[in-house]
Amino acid sequence: MKASARLVVERDSAGRSVVRELRSMSPLTLVPRRSLLANATGPALVHLVSSATAPLGGDDLELSVLVGPGAHLRLHGVAATLALPGHRPGGSRMTLHLQVADGGRLEYLPEPTVVTARADHHAELCADLAGDARLRCREVLVLGRSGERPGRLRSDIRLTRDGDPLLRQRLDVGDPTLDSTPAHLAGHRVLATELLVWGADPAEPVSGDWWSLAPLARGGSLATVLADDTVAADRMLRTALAAHPGLDKAEAGTADGVTRVAGIA
Amino acid sequence: MDVLEVTGAAAVLSLADSRFPGGGHVHSGGLEEAVARGLATDERQLASFLYGRLRTAGELAAVFAAAATHAARQRADRKTWIELDVELDARTPSPAQREASRAQGRGTARAGRAAWPNPVLDDLLAVTPRPHHPVTVGALVGIAGGTPRQAALSVTYLSVSGPASAAVRLLGLDPFGVNAVVVSLSPEMERIAAEAAEQAELPATELPAPNAPALDLFAEAHDRIHREEVRLFAS
Amino acid sequence: MPAENEHGHGHGHGHRHPVNFDPTATEPDPHPRRVDIGRAFRIGIGGPVGCGKTALVAALCRALGDELELAVVTNDIYTTEDADFLRRAGVLDPARIEAVQTGACPHTAIRDDITANLDAVERLEQRFAGLELVIIESGGDNLTATFSRGLVDRQIFVVDVSGGDKVPRKGGPGVTTADLLLINKVDLAEQVGADMEVMVSDAHRMRRHELPVITQSLVRTPDAPDVAAWVRAQLGTTAAGNNGTQLTTGTT
Repeated sequence: MKASARLVVERDSAGRSVVRELRSMSPLTLVPRRSLLANATGPALVHLVSSATAPLGGDDLELSVLVGPGAHLRLHGVAATLALPGHRPGGSRMTLHLQVADGGRLEYLPEPTVVTARADHHAELCADLAGDARLRCREVLVLGRSGERPGRLRSDIRLTRDGDPLLRQRLDVGDPTLDSTPAHLAGHRVLATELLVWGADPAEPVSGDWWSLAPLARGGSLATVLADDTVAADRMLRTALAAHPGLDKAEAGTADGVTRVAGIA
Repeated sequence: MDVLEVTGAAAVLSLADSRFPGGGHVHSGGLEEAVARGLATDERQLASFLYGRLRTAGELAAVFAAAATHAARQRADRKTWIELDVELDARTPSPAQREASRAQGRGTARAGRAAWPNPVLDDLLAVTPRPHHPVTVGALVGIAGGTPRQAALSVTYLSVSGPASAAVRLLGLDPFGVNAVVVSLSPEMERIAAEAAEQAELPATELPAPNAPALDLFAEAHDRIHREEVRLFAS
Repeated sequence: MPAENEHGHGHGHGHRHPVNFDPTATEPDPHPRRVDIGRAFRIGIGGPVGCGKTALVAALCRALGDELELAVVTNDIYTTEDADFLRRAGVLDPARIEAVQTGACPHTAIRDDITANLDAVERLEQRFAGLELVIIESGGDNLTATFSRGLVDRQIFVVDVSGGDKVPRKGGPGVTTADLLLINKVDLAEQVGADMEVMVSDAHRMRRHELPVITQSLVRTPDAPDVAAWVRAQLGTTAAGNNGTQLTTGTT
């Protein structure tokens, strides 16, 4: 299945972030939600729903998200994505293009991706930020359902700001020889990362044994977590985010009931 | 083409020699932290650690060394050196790893200036006085007349030989066994170096960006723990 | 650095000189002139574990800290222990101390691959413009460890009497070739049964009666006046290089 969806959010004359364009294409369904916040200047909320079981082998999915100057979008995924094998060869592919203009803010906080047995998935994220744009982008990879050996997943992240590269990273999971090495995943089943270009960057890296929040060389920061299950990953990710000077307590998820990573394990 | 049957062979051997005075001997490539956590305490675990490192950090070093050799052979302008520097930074999210790479790059450049003085090296150092290690090695190999594949092979080998030597020093492992482990990785090294050489002419933005989450975490933890207690290696 | 130096006349070496704002005034330079080699002079201090290297460094800091722009690099294999000792001793501004990690090979770090030490010297030179002397203390090692001439201009090898009077006889490049051999802790000679006369005459013989030997007890003379005087003499008489040897400069 080949699908291309598109979402454009802009700030209107009243200062509200509104969805200007929303084009779903099965299996990528975008569902706008009325902001639950009384404050009209709050973010536009859109949920990304997989209307068919996706991605399957042979799928080539593309989602483009544009956030205009001063606008704020929070994009959620409602269900855990399962990278499942399909009937066609060649694996599945999901490409996400994010573009955020000056003063714009985009939070992309999807649920975990479970790399099921025999999956062969390539997730690609390309984000281009204007100089004064903000971005939070989370990726939680779970290697197989409980007791299941994972298939393969490659994740590519490419982040630029004003054309300058901030982060370029490729992660390969599902190669049993590589996953088990102490250098790569050290046998862990969950890898969580969160990319932050969100106000002030941490002046110094902060870390625990299996998590870190590290300032990137040219702006932005990356939280990295290795855990045995999503509950532990969630806890460590929130610990890492709590050290980020640009996030308040609610944004970091250390206040109750906010932006938690769903437990799948 | 046989990897050693071109000009610059002595340069390649010298740069990959553990006795090359470029400051490499004080870096363990995350091994000291892995040892401290009990994750690499015998030959079997060390072999696994080195394989993981080779497939990730080794490949990253290989593609940038190969690209730098190509750049040096083309007498690249300063813009190219800036791009390689910036792109390798973007592929190294851990500040501790960036620092370890630049410390070794600086040391290698210092030794390289004495052995292979050249305006290309001056250009690289004008762009940054502390260039990344794979870029520096690649530039020196190119200056000495070597090929991208030679440079890639050098840094790929160094990505495991340094930690292997650290394992001998930290754990007292049998040096014959450890050496045999390094040698057993040869096919993988050669494959990675050959692939890196094929990509040497790509624009820096398009170079691969393999990452190893555990190595990133080890590097940060090593640096943090060093502030509190004993660490023998700088990284 | 103490904050006051940022507002003082800014040569930042832990003490201050009165500033005369009259541009026509000629006053003696508060620091005696030294031979300019374009960078700080570097003295290495080596010797076996426990011979008193760190205590000597502390004594030299006390003796010379007020007259020289001074900094220290330590190579203790257990990372920052020596640096911490010096900081606690309060003899030197902590910003003037750099600790080097040696990858469990202290002799390699001062001889075969001096990169980490040169980097440390450079960091100090960048931090303190006009640095005149950097003392590099090796990690405790054996009698074969010496400093590379690419790293230091002069080296002091320290042995102490507690290992017995046979130590100088055993030779090794530290004892035989160091620019200064220091026999330390002589106050203990009687307790450990070391014959000082034998020790000193052996030392001179091993050094072909050409290179100097100093005996010292920091219990009796806490500021190491003899060694400090030797250091002053080296600084005053230095020409570029050492015996014509090309030195590795700190900058590339």
